[in-house]
Amino acid sequence: MDSPNKLLIVDDNEDILSTFYEFFNSLGYEVKTARDGFAALKLLKNKSIFFDCLITDLVMPNISGVGLISIAKKEYPHLKIIAMTGYGGQPGALASEAKADFVFFKPVDLLKIENKVSELINQKNDKQ
Amino acid sequence: MTTTPLIGVSKSILKIKELIHHVANTCLNVLITGATGVGKEVVAQNLYAESARSTQNFVKINCAALPETLLESELYGYEKGAFTGAHKKRPGKFQTADKGVLFLDEIGDMPMALQSKMLHVLQSGEFSPLGSDQEYKTDVWVIAATNHNLEESMKQKMFREDLFYRLNIIKIDIPPLRKRKEDIPSLIEYYFRLYKSEYPDNQGTRPDSDILTKLCNYSWPGNVRQLQNCIKKQMILNSWEKIFEELTQEHPEIAPPILKENQQNGTQVYINQEFSNARTSIISEFVDLSTSSDKLFEDLSLKKIKKMASDKVEKEVIAFVLEKVGWNRSRASKILKISYKTLLYKMNEFKVLPPA
Repeated sequence: MDSPNKLLIVDDNEDILSTFYEFFNSLGYEVKTARDGFAALKLLKNKSIFFDCLITDLVMPNISGVGLISIAKKEYPHLKIIAMTGYGGQPGALASEAKADFVFFKPVDLLKIENKVSELINQKNDKQ
Repeated sequence: MTTTPLIGVSKSILKIKELIHHVANTCLNVLITGATGVGKEVVAQNLYAESARSTQNFVKINCAALPETLLESELYGYEKGAFTGAHKKRPGKFQTADKGVLFLDEIGDMPMALQSKMLHVLQSGEFSPLGSDQEYKTDVWVIAATNHNLEESMKQKMFREDLFYRLNIIKIDIPPLRKRKEDIPSLIEYYFRLYKSEYPDNQGTRPDSDILTKLCNYSWPGNVRQLQNCIKKQMILNSWEKIFEELTQEHPEIAPPILKENQQNGTQVYINQEFSNARTSIISEFVDLSTSSDKLFEDLSLKKIKKMASDKVEKEVIAFVLEKVGWNRSRASKILKISYKTLLYKMNEFKVLPPA
């Protein structure tokens, strides 16, 4: 059996985190969550899990989503990254500049995000 | 440049140290926030010292200290003849900080016109000196600091949103000293040793445990810088009692305002409250902010507050002048340019009494 795809979800809003966790978990993904960019970075650096996809909010304390995307794209080029933002165009544009694979604007549609996640992960697997 | 270490054992300082360690080599823009005197520049220095850029320049500019045109020419430099008095070409900070760090202190005070120019440089990595049409490439790591609440400044259209998000990639917020009392003993020890080594002949002694407790419970509105000054003073006065007396006189409201810490909502709420502290502390001198807003707005009349504020200042000025002239009322009234009768009336109204 294939091992489940591994997701890291980052948001400073506890409700969003738990909703995403339940949703992706029920679809068979292995999900980890972090409440800010710094906590997420530590999970990425801890090599026990190799994540397939990172879904991150943008405006957060300490390391912002944009910061996290920049660092992650440099250090883990194979990681697919989806950004979500509720703060208008500015952070979204910065996320694209930091080479996020896709940017969603809040409120987000979980099904659409899941479609994007599986599309990105399949792209990645096709290339390998 | 000697780097001042980040002193402290509190959770927030330890976390900041860890964060510095993780981001020092990313060269991502950093925004450091916190009240006056908390050590924003110290954090910037530590970021620089831990980065691969530590062999290059650390260039600092204070955006609040210079008038707009001067700030612009300091940042970008100018060509010979760019303006009257530009006798020769001068490189700007963006040029001297190339490959190194540019520390933009008090970024919240940067005029709007310069904010858009700054945004352009941050986006493109290019700038042109005043009077030049040539674009120069620059590779600077921008670390900005402010004691303003930039979210609030954005709402008031005093700070550009696009610039804010571009700077706010890494955000380091330093809590005020009264929120991390456990750092006070180690800060005292550090500065005590430092000043002792700088002036080995001085008589200053360390605080005993009673004084230390008092110092830890003081609200330190001027934060670490105020604490530093106190220790310097102690080196000269060698009397903690006297220093403590001064502290309580400067800020009689020694008990720090207790903010409700909302654990669930996390630190963000807490931080925003922190920023508006300066304003609320001024207002709270005249109205009771702890009442419900209905009651509060009933009490809040500009005319009333104006009277209270001017009374307060008048009282202090009258007392000040009277003390200077040895309570000679007729001299004081001449200095204050009010009639003798008015002075007596005001002394009575404000209860300004000669020492018994």
